[in-house]
Amino acid sequence: MAQPVTLPQRPLLALETSCDDTCAAVVTPDGQILSNVISSQARFHERYGGVVPEVASRHHLELVNAVVDDALATAGVSIGELGRVAATSGPGLIGALLIGLSTAKALAAAAGLPFVPVDHLQGHVAANFLAPDAIEPPFLCLVASGGHTLLAEVEDPAGYRLLGETRDDAAGEALDKAGRLLGLGFPGGAAIDRLAHEGDPHAFDFPVGMRDRSSLDFSFSGLKTAFVYKVRDLGTEAAVARRADLAASFQSAVVDALVWKVERALEQTGARTLAIGGGVAANSELRARLGVLGADRGLRLKVPPPELCTDNAAMIASAARFLEVVPHPGYLGFDAFARAA
Amino acid sequence: MTTIGFDTSLASTTACMLRADGQAFATPPPSAERLLGPAAHSQELLPELERVMSEGGVGWGDVSTIAVGVGPGTFTGLRIGVATARALAQALALPVAPVSSLEALAAGAGERGGLERGDPVLALIDARRGQVFAALYRHGRRPEQVWQPQVLEPASLLARVDALGATPLAAGDWALRSRQELERVGAHVPEPDSGLHAVDAVQVCKLARDVEPVAAKEVYPVYLRLPDAEVNMRLTPQKG
Ligand SMILES: [Zn+2]
Repeated sequence: MAQPVTLPQRPLLALETSCDDTCAAVVTPDGQILSNVISSQARFHERYGGVVPEVASRHHLELVNAVVDDALATAGVSIGELGRVAATSGPGLIGALLIGLSTAKALAAAAGLPFVPVDHLQGHVAANFLAPDAIEPPFLCLVASGGHTLLAEVEDPAGYRLLGETRDDAAGEALDKAGRLLGLGFPGGAAIDRLAHEGDPHAFDFPVGMRDRSSLDFSFSGLKTAFVYKVRDLGTEAAVARRADLAASFQSAVVDALVWKVERALEQTGARTLAIGGGVAANSELRARLGVLGADRGLRLKVPPPELCTDNAAMIASAARFLEVVPHPGYLGFDAFARAA
Repeated sequence: MTTIGFDTSLASTTACMLRADGQAFATPPPSAERLLGPAAHSQELLPELERVMSEGGVGWGDVSTIAVGVGPGTFTGLRIGVATARALAQALALPVAPVSSLEALAAGAGERGGLERGDPVLALIDARRGQVFAALYRHGRRPEQVWQPQVLEPASLLARVDALGATPLAAGDWALRSRQELERVGAHVPEPDSGLHAVDAVQVCKLARDVEPVAAKEVYPVYLRLPDAEVNMRLTPQKG
C-alpha cells in the first residue's frame, strides 16, 4: 500500500534589526530552529558609550545580506524553498528597522513569497513557543531589556494583553547606565551582574519606583538618578573602591522592582506559568529571585536560553507562524514604526 | 537585457524598467511640492518598481541588471534603496550596478534641459545640517565629471560657482531651495515643476551600462559624511 504523501511544510525566514543586533533565522512551521544567526554590533558602539542609531543603521546594511546567507546556509535551505518571509516592523530604531524590513520585503517580492510583519515585543513573547521547550498559553510574560520593560498576559499565541510597561527608562537601560558610571564599559548590565556577586546588596539603599498596587507599570528613572547622585556624593575614588557594593545594591533594587510587579500581576491574573524574556532575563539575581518565587507559589517558570532572550530573529519567525500572512503584492508598501501605536 | 533601476536619495522615489527592446517605463517626474516634501521610500519603492515592471509586461525572472542610485542623499532614503537592491540581487542571484545619484541627476537635467555637449551642469542635493552635496559635470551622453561629489558649505559652493565664469545649469532639491543665491552667482535654475530637479531612474538604468556591476554585498551608500556622533566625538577633546 502506498504511503500517503504529505508535503513537508516550508520553513520561514525572519529578519530582526530593531536595535544594534543584525539577526536572521530559519524556523520550521512547528517551531524547530534550523538556524539563528546574531551579528552583534556591540563592539562598534562601545566607543560611543551607547547605541548610536545612525551607526547601527550603517552596520545593519553592511551585515544584513551576509547574515541572511549564513542563516539560509546553516539551515540548508534556499530562498526558493521558503514558505514565507518575516521581519520586525517595530517598535525600535526606525532607521535600523528599515534595513531588515526593506531586505525582507525585497527578498519576498523577488521570490514571490508571502510576508509577515512582526511586532518586536510579540517576538519576545513568541520566543516561548520555540522547540524544544515550547510552552502554551495562558501564561504571564515579563520582558525586560535595554529597550523595553513590560508585563503581558498571553492567552493565545497570536497576541498578548499589555498589563504594564515602563513609564520612562527600561530596566536594562538603567543597569547599563549604572555599569557605565562605574566604568564597566558598554553594555554594562552583564558586568554589573558579575560584579554584584562580590558586593553587599544591602550596602546602599535605593528607592524602588512605582510601588503602588493601582498600576503594573514600571519606572526606573528615579532609581537611575539616585544612583547617579550616590556615585557623585561618594566621589570617584570611593565609588570605584566600593563599586561591587554599588553594583549589588543597585541591581538588587532593579530586580526588586521587577519581581514586586510580577507578584502583583500573578495575583491579578491567577497565571500558573511565568515566562521571561529580554536581555535582563539573563540576569542571575532576577533568575534566582523568580526561581524562589516560582517554587513558593508552585508556578512553572519558563526561561528561554540566553540567545532566545536577547534580540534574535528566531523569535520573530516564531511569532510569524501564528500571525496573519500577507500575500504578494499586498506588503510591498509596508513601513516600519518606531513606537507602539 | 532587462534593466531595473531606482533612486531614493531625494524625498521623491523614482523607479524605471528599461526593457530589452530599449523602451523605458518609469516614474513620472515629481512636482516641486513632492520633491521638497517628506520622504516615504519604504511605502513607495517596491510598489512603484513592480508597477513600472508590470506596465512593460516584465516579471522578476526577466530582470538581468539591477541598478541603484547610491547617493549621496538622505541617509535613511539611501539605505532603503541600497538594502532593496542588495536583497533583490541576493534573491535573483544577480550583481548590482551602483550609480552616482548626482551623476544621474546631472544626466537627466542636461538631457531634458536641452544642453549641448560640454555645457556645465551642477547637481546639488540637500545634505541637511545646512550643507549641500555637490558635483559639477560637462554634459554628454555620459556626464563628464569636473568636480567630484563632495559635501560643501553653501558659501563655499556659491564662491566656486561664481568663479566658474560660465552659466551652469543647476539642478536638484538644494538648487530649488536656493534659487536666488544660485542665480546671483550666475547659475541657471530651471522652473520648480520642470521635472529637472529630481533624479530620474531612466538615467540610473542608462548610466548602469557604463558601470562595472558588483556583488550584492559590495554595494554601499555614498554617505560623504560621518555620523553626527562620530563628528562630535572627534570634535570633543578626549578626557584623560
Ligand atoms: Zn528586544
